[in-house]
Amino acid sequence: MIALDVDGRTIQVEAGITVLEACLQNGIFIPNLCFVKTRKRPHASCRLCFVEIDGLDRPVPSCTQRVRDGMKVRTDTEPVRRLQRSAFKLLMSTHICTPRECPTQGRCQLIRTAKLLKVSLKPSPLERLERDVDPVVRLGPLVHYPYRCVLCGRCVHVCGEESGHGLLTFAKRGFNTVVATFVSEGEEGPCAECSACVGVCPTGALTLEAPETAESEEPGRAADSGG
Amino acid sequence: MHKLDPEKRLALLAEEARKRQAQASREDVPTLRIVMSTCGLAAGAAETRAAFEEALERRGLEARIVAVGCLGHCYAEPLVVIHHPASGFPPLCYYNIDPGKARMLVDSFLLDGDPALEYVLGAMVPNDLLPAVTDFPRFSMEQRVVMEHCGAIDPHSLDDYLALGGYGALATALGRSPGWVLDEVARSGLRGRGGAGFPTGRKWRLAAEAPADSKVVICNADEGDPGAYMDRTIMESNPHQLLEGMALCAYAVGAEEAIVYVRAEYPLAVRTIQRAIDDARKAGLLGERILGSDFSLHIRVFQGSGAFVCGEETALIQSIEGRRGMPQHRPPYPVEAGLWGRPTVVNNVKTLSTVPAILTRGAHWFRSIGTEKSPGTAIFSVVGNVTHAGLVEIPMGTTLRTLIFDVCGGIPKKKAFKAVQIGGPSGGCLSGDFLDTSIDFDSLTEAGAMMGSGGMVVMDEDSCMVDVARYFLDFTQNESCGKCTFCRIGTRHLLLILDRITKGEGREEDLELLDTLSRDIRDGSLCGLGKTAPNPVLTSLRYFRDEYEAHVREKRCPALKCRALTAFYIDLDKCARGCDACVGCCPVEAIFTTRGRKKAIDQELCVKCGECVTACPPEYDAVVRVSPAHLAPIIERPQPSEGRG
Amino acid sequence: MKDDARLSEEETMLRSIEAMLPRFEKNRAQLIPILQAIQEEHQYLSREAMRLVADYLEISPSEVLGVATFYNQFRFHPPGRHQIKVCLGTACHVAGGDIILENFERKLGIREGETTPDREYSVERVACVGCCALAPVAVVDDKVIGHMQPSKIEGLFLQFDLQREQEKAREAGEEADAQAGS
Repeated sequence: MIALDVDGRTIQVEAGITVLEACLQNGIFIPNLCFVKTRKRPHASCRLCFVEIDGLDRPVPSCTQRVRDGMKVRTDTEPVRRLQRSAFKLLMSTHICTPRECPTQGRCQLIRTAKLLKVSLKPSPLERLERDVDPVVRLGPLVHYPYRCVLCGRCVHVCGEESGHGLLTFAKRGFNTVVATFVSEGEEGPCAECSACVGVCPTGALTLEAPETAESEEPGRAADSGG
Repeated sequence: MHKLDPEKRLALLAEEARKRQAQASREDVPTLRIVMSTCGLAAGAAETRAAFEEALERRGLEARIVAVGCLGHCYAEPLVVIHHPASGFPPLCYYNIDPGKARMLVDSFLLDGDPALEYVLGAMVPNDLLPAVTDFPRFSMEQRVVMEHCGAIDPHSLDDYLALGGYGALATALGRSPGWVLDEVARSGLRGRGGAGFPTGRKWRLAAEAPADSKVVICNADEGDPGAYMDRTIMESNPHQLLEGMALCAYAVGAEEAIVYVRAEYPLAVRTIQRAIDDARKAGLLGERILGSDFSLHIRVFQGSGAFVCGEETALIQSIEGRRGMPQHRPPYPVEAGLWGRPTVVNNVKTLSTVPAILTRGAHWFRSIGTEKSPGTAIFSVVGNVTHAGLVEIPMGTTLRTLIFDVCGGIPKKKAFKAVQIGGPSGGCLSGDFLDTSIDFDSLTEAGAMMGSGGMVVMDEDSCMVDVARYFLDFTQNESCGKCTFCRIGTRHLLLILDRITKGEGREEDLELLDTLSRDIRDGSLCGLGKTAPNPVLTSLRYFRDEYEAHVREKRCPALKCRALTAFYIDLDKCARGCDACVGCCPVEAIFTTRGRKKAIDQELCVKCGECVTACPPEYDAVVRVSPAHLAPIIERPQPSEGRG
Repeated sequence: MKDDARLSEEETMLRSIEAMLPRFEKNRAQLIPILQAIQEEHQYLSREAMRLVADYLEISPSEVLGVATFYNQFRFHPPGRHQIKVCLGTACHVAGGDIILENFERKLGIREGETTPDREYSVERVACVGCCALAPVAVVDDKVIGHMQPSKIEGLFLQFDLQREQEKAREAGEEADAQAGS
């Protein structure tokens, strides 16, 4: 076990884990979406888990840093919060869902993050961005809601690397990136319905259940009802 | 069997090469060297060559035609160097040689001995008869280390390279030790020419010391920066120099496998480098037990499939492994765990091509060029609104002013200099205040631009800085891999904001938003692409803020570039009655005849392509461009009955 | 519904792909080279072609889809007989490359990334072909054309039209010959 100082509090953790895990294990919440313990190399794509570490001149994602004995970590400095709020606003400018219809029943990581950062779920001053995707997409036996998806890649990871099914992939590139599959609609493909992907999705964008009601399929209207 | 050391083996190879060369060229037969790299071909070099061949055959003349790589003088393409020993003239460099001029040259010069001096740029060597190109600033102010033989030798001929002492550095190194190469490269102070300027010697040392059974060297030739093409030119013009550099790197770090990662968009470069690899292997300069030593190296070509982000080394490695080219978090750095987890050196074409010269002429010599912290030369593709566009190799420390105005001849058409964009989508736009900035890694970064891959676009007064920023953001958001939040979504927002500003829909608060969002993307992104993507916005906001303000507050584009904010109209006082020049060229039939039998533009139909400006005869010069658009006078189209009457 | 001609065209293509696959090692690293070879030969990657590659390399077809859709190079629909690529690199942008692109689009009545209904022409934009000193540049059927102007576009299509008429005349001639011969 080694000791590190987080926001002035000393915590004891096992060596070799990341700063993010160390904090989460000790009840210190750091917003995060893409972290999966079983990844060999940190994905570091959601850009929410920033912290400041003594000796480094700028905030770094805590999922990329291994704990060291005597390490000093700050999770709530102004530069950290600035980047977190900015990343959060960016995500919310493409995420169309409201707490009322959120299928995670309050466990959505985005709602939790908004509370911590003390910001609304609206993207302002940024505008909401149009994405060229359908509101509901069938991925083999799975039902996917691209407007809720934050492209954290957890589902792709557990489906491919962990369970070896290889149903899910990222397709296209850049702003048009989507979670997709080669399997055509109605076909099962290599899916074992293990629901590992459903379990790791932080925003309720994947289910094995039948598509929801028509209301939520119209992102425009859902967006107007506010967050 | 008698065992020779590598240097002696190479000496034998070079000797044979020289013999073959001597047999091929006869004193009485003229030699025509035609620049046939991609830009030469684009300018029509293939047609020029065909015209020469046809004319020679028709006249029954004998001449040797050699296709050479790029001289860097793209403004003068197609370029032909004719050496006609019997005429008494030194080798002459001819510019802009189209098929007509080619046929004429065969008749006048090769047949009658008249060199047609009006088409000569200059002699290739100093002489008593006529000025030599080496006296022109475009030549004399350059210092060529990497591009020394580009355009002079046949890129498809290993003999040409060997005859010049090629592979000599490799032979010497094989006779010494990897440590000697490492020391020499470290002492030279060479920094990576791919953009960031990391010390090459240190990178190699890290890879050499990494414990592993097998290591890899990758040459990054995924030149994706729009506006830069020197890597392509080097591969098309002197591929063996690059291969020698790669072999030296592999020898130094202990790698037996190397990969040239070339964009598939460069088919000629792919073919040239592949042929060079095959030739070198056949000659024993690559492959097993090179030059009889214990060192073996296998080089192969991998074609990049068109993703700018693959210029980033971790993304490039992903792509070779057959995955989506998404950058990975570093550390671990590729020198520790790269391709297939093996220590991997990723170096740019220019970096590797510099190494043979360093080892041949010594680290001390290399340090004598350039500045203390950025030794050596820099290669830029200077393009845009500049007289002598092309590739230029200058010592580091040269100022931007010298490069743009003295070496490249300044701005054409008597226009004023406005800005220079350096480093492509990752770099920045510098204003005239920065013309005295020294060209080196640190000074350019300090000014807000960066060396990048060496793309330099010169812009005159007619370029709109907001439009240029919008252009680059359009590029980066298109090329973002989509992995991290800031780059995927942030650059899209930047683009949308810039889009609305150039359309006259910008809001006062947009400038602040651009600034803060840019800083967040810079500080928060995962890889170099995202971190540098906001540079074009940040620098143009800093140096050309007044242009942004004019767009937002007055809906005016000061450079008259943004189409939504400008309009064309025809000055009726200047327009000539009965002249029809503009009517035919308008692609949308927006030009009509007024009651006074002059011309006017239907603002509803006009797409603002500017064709009518070009078409209007200079003696009238009647087409006017204005911004904001409402300044254009509205002229009603006459009713059909009136028009006829 | 696909017509029979297209169907058999696709079958021929798949058979030729099957025949060429053994040239490559069964190794994940061969994925991109294989996709490139298929496109080089057949101009695009069909869904079934991607499935063949996945089976050959023993990876999931989803992964092939993920990789193929990431890179600009790969197309998923057959392009036109004449491929027009307009360079929009920095130098070309400054020199009015967008106006050249617009002219092609207007002339053909399609947007960039599309193919004309008769499958004669397709237009796309490319980032930079590295001929910046000759901006604006377009690549027509692998031939790089420098210093593009709207008037050159007119000339280009005139040439294509002429070519097509000659072909038609030749075909008609051959048919007539055949008939005369029989």
